[in-house]
Amino acid sequence: MKSFIEPNELARDSRFIRQDNVAATILSTLPDDVDAVVEALERLDPMIEKGVRGTEAEPLYEEYGPGFALVTLNEPLDPTSPSAGTRLALRMHGIFVGELQALEGAGRSLWDFPDAPWEFKMNMARQCWDETRHVQIYEKLLEHVGGYAGMFPESTFLFECACSDDPALRVAGVNRGLEGLACDVFRDMIRYAEAIGDETMRQAVDYVLADELTHVRFGSDWVKEFTKGDPERYEKAQEFRRKVDKQFSFGGARSEREDAAIPIAWEDRREAGFTEQELDELREITADGPSRDTMREAARQLRERHHARRAASAERASA
Amino acid sequence: MSEPRLYPGTGRDERTTFAPYSAFDIPADLRELHGRYDVEATARRVRNFRYAEEWMMMIMGGWVATIPELPVKTGLGKIIWECAQAANVLGERLPELRCGRKAVTASESSNEGFAGVIREIAAPDRPDQTIEKIAGVFDVLKPHLIEAYERHSRETDQIADAPTIELLDDIVRRTRGHVTWGKDVLDRICDTEGLRERRRQRGDALREMLTACGGVTGEL
Ligand SMILES: [Fe+2]
Ligand SMILES: [Fe+2]
Repeated sequence: MKSFIEPNELARDSRFIRQDNVAATILSTLPDDVDAVVEALERLDPMIEKGVRGTEAEPLYEEYGPGFALVTLNEPLDPTSPSAGTRLALRMHGIFVGELQALEGAGRSLWDFPDAPWEFKMNMARQCWDETRHVQIYEKLLEHVGGYAGMFPESTFLFECACSDDPALRVAGVNRGLEGLACDVFRDMIRYAEAIGDETMRQAVDYVLADELTHVRFGSDWVKEFTKGDPERYEKAQEFRRKVDKQFSFGGARSEREDAAIPIAWEDRREAGFTEQELDELREITADGPSRDTMREAARQLRERHHARRAASAERASA
Repeated sequence: MSEPRLYPGTGRDERTTFAPYSAFDIPADLRELHGRYDVEATARRVRNFRYAEEWMMMIMGGWVATIPELPVKTGLGKIIWECAQAANVLGERLPELRCGRKAVTASESSNEGFAGVIREIAAPDRPDQTIEKIAGVFDVLKPHLIEAYERHSRETDQIADAPTIELLDDIVRRTRGHVTWGKDVLDRICDTEGLRERRRQRGDALREMLTACGGVTGEL
């Protein structure tokens, strides 16, 4: 068995549909400018359309055009909105495949770094079991909200961004960057479950969140250990984590901003071992990117153009 | 001045009134001293066992990403953790066997042949090789380890080496669960004669290698 696989080598059964990661990459680097956002997504339109074909996201695409991701990512989950069910399933599905990739990432850390200290291997082995439970939990929660595995396309952006070949960078990216993001998302899910009075969801996610704090702690400990006496490597690991934090803020969708779709879970992060300085950095990193108004306006324009294109091609077809 | 504390039943003449055959001897201890392995031999075998458990954990960790069947992926997660725990308790036994404190992470292949078996078990990494992956660990290596662990427990000094026996008991119990899981997975996946033949071939080839090198301890 070789070491260091590529994200496109993650094996899936026939239910799953892979999405090109380019769209996610572009989304993470959008500026606060309506025209730029519209232009970037128009360019990705053929790829986005291909990615959603045959999935439950197809009606969303037909309704909103290539900007449907802006709508789903940037608006907070609102139980009273008409698309609440689809959006909840979309988020659940995103978390479900994220957990799957977290399981695969932890497993690969066992194989890719055979000379790592024993305690590191123990932590990664434990994380494999934890992520396994998370996959199982979210598969059930997905069904609980009326969804199913493979209903939306899967992006392997998470695995791609975080799986560095240097163990110090990998734990910084996966266990501090992505697991930190998981803390934010799961705290938000708990709030949502409380708002709709769903005790099953609240309790399951509460347990998952507890596990994720442990995983962040693994990351905090191992970044320190792997970079002991090597300030340059430590700085590289920190920089890598900042990059991951930036990529996974989806242009301010996860941030401290008042219009954030996913607020940052400050208290959970503190408990998990993030320092005040790191939290200040996170505040800054996630602050820029398009505002919700920019995203809304871009989404409106994209939808208009999409419907105009559909109308034009229908006319051509009838002529 | 307070009275000196005496054990229950002890008089001032320092003898208790209890009969020598006490509750500790009921039922009578029928175990006999002396086993097949001395401290050094047991330590070497524990390092051999640890080698197998540690590599299984790492190999299955690598496979999780390249196995497409979701229940197989998630089933492996817990088994990886249990192999890690097995390797861990085996390692913790080593300093108790006069190997020094640092020995807790020592793993050792009995010989080059067994290292070759592990390499061959780890070889399949394509997504269409779930049968070869699972058959290697669950049809061959784990059943072999159960046999080796039980043999050690039977043949070692029942009193002096009891801590090894205890920890192997625990590992065997969990490993049996793993073997049952692997068998269920393979029975389900191998649903044509062609696939069942692949499973048989993989098992036969690996068992032959195991026999040739003498298995995990090199002394089959
Ligand atoms: Fe997780
Ligand atoms: Fe995690």
